[in-house]
Amino acid sequence: MNVIKTPKTQTNSGKRELLFTFQTIIVTGLLAFTAIAFFCYNDLSVVKGIKVIFAPFLSVVPLLFILSILRDLRKGFIEGNYTKNEILKFGLITIGITAAFTGITLLLSKIDALEILLAGIIAILSTVFFLRSKIKDILGMSIVTGIAEGIIVYMIFLF
Amino acid sequence: MKLKNLNIAFFVTTGVSIVVFIYLVFLGYDEIETPKDVIKIIASIVFPIPMLFFMRFIVIEHFLPENTDEYKLKNQKPATLFLVVTIAGGILMMQFLEFLTQKKLEDALVIAHLINSTTISSYVMNFLLYNNLKANGILSGVLMALAIHVFFLSA
Repeated sequence: MNVIKTPKTQTNSGKRELLFTFQTIIVTGLLAFTAIAFFCYNDLSVVKGIKVIFAPFLSVVPLLFILSILRDLRKGFIEGNYTKNEILKFGLITIGITAAFTGITLLLSKIDALEILLAGIIAILSTVFFLRSKIKDILGMSIVTGIAEGIIVYMIFLF
Repeated sequence: MKLKNLNIAFFVTTGVSIVVFIYLVFLGYDEIETPKDVIKIIASIVFPIPMLFFMRFIVIEHFLPENTDEYKLKNQKPATLFLVVTIAGGILMMQFLEFLTQKKLEDALVIAHLINSTTISSYVMNFLLYNNLKANGILSGVLMALAIHVFFLSA
């Protein structure tokens, strides 16, 4: 409940940033949840143990490199309200990403080796952290929301 | 003041979700056979939360007027109308769906969870933050329809 206790972020953009952070935490939790659920139910086997150790590096290293050299891509959260067109546009983007991520989770469930699943999940996680730190905007928020909803929709209806 | 409201909203939403979750799990205890069902149920409870955050993100301000007497008076009629229409529509639709699929709602527990948790979360959120009386009518209607359906109409 970090959102509530910090008194210094009273502005709307500050509140938005906290909501965004919260959303990324939820997505991280959901991804961990997905990994555990798939690991328990899909009879994953470890084919080559060494690959498990190196799976995270595939996406974490590029992420850190990109984060270190890139400037912020967006201007940050706005203070006022969004217009109707913007809301419509980003709502549609969210729905699109939701559909896409239902499909991506379906693909992840087809994987039968732990190391590949791990690499996939960490790649998504890196994407989320990239959005979190560089695309601080409604665009980032709608993508992150879409990822979360996509995973949940898969879990409810297809798992 | 707004910060306090936000505070209460989050706590109440979380609290209500947990209570409903525990209650429904006990209610449908027999139908939970594998841990897979548990995962599905948890997922359907979590479903509204990212969406609520997104909503809150967009609608950060009170986009509607404060809850004055004048505002209440103006919205009484449409809100009541919405309530009645949604109750009737909700019940009819659920009856129709049950008729169409030849299945009881209780057989698809996940769907009940999904409707319930989504509506309750948005209800609490709306009640505490935005005070949109028309939305209040619609959400109350959905909850009432679900309750009436489960209580009286499905033997």
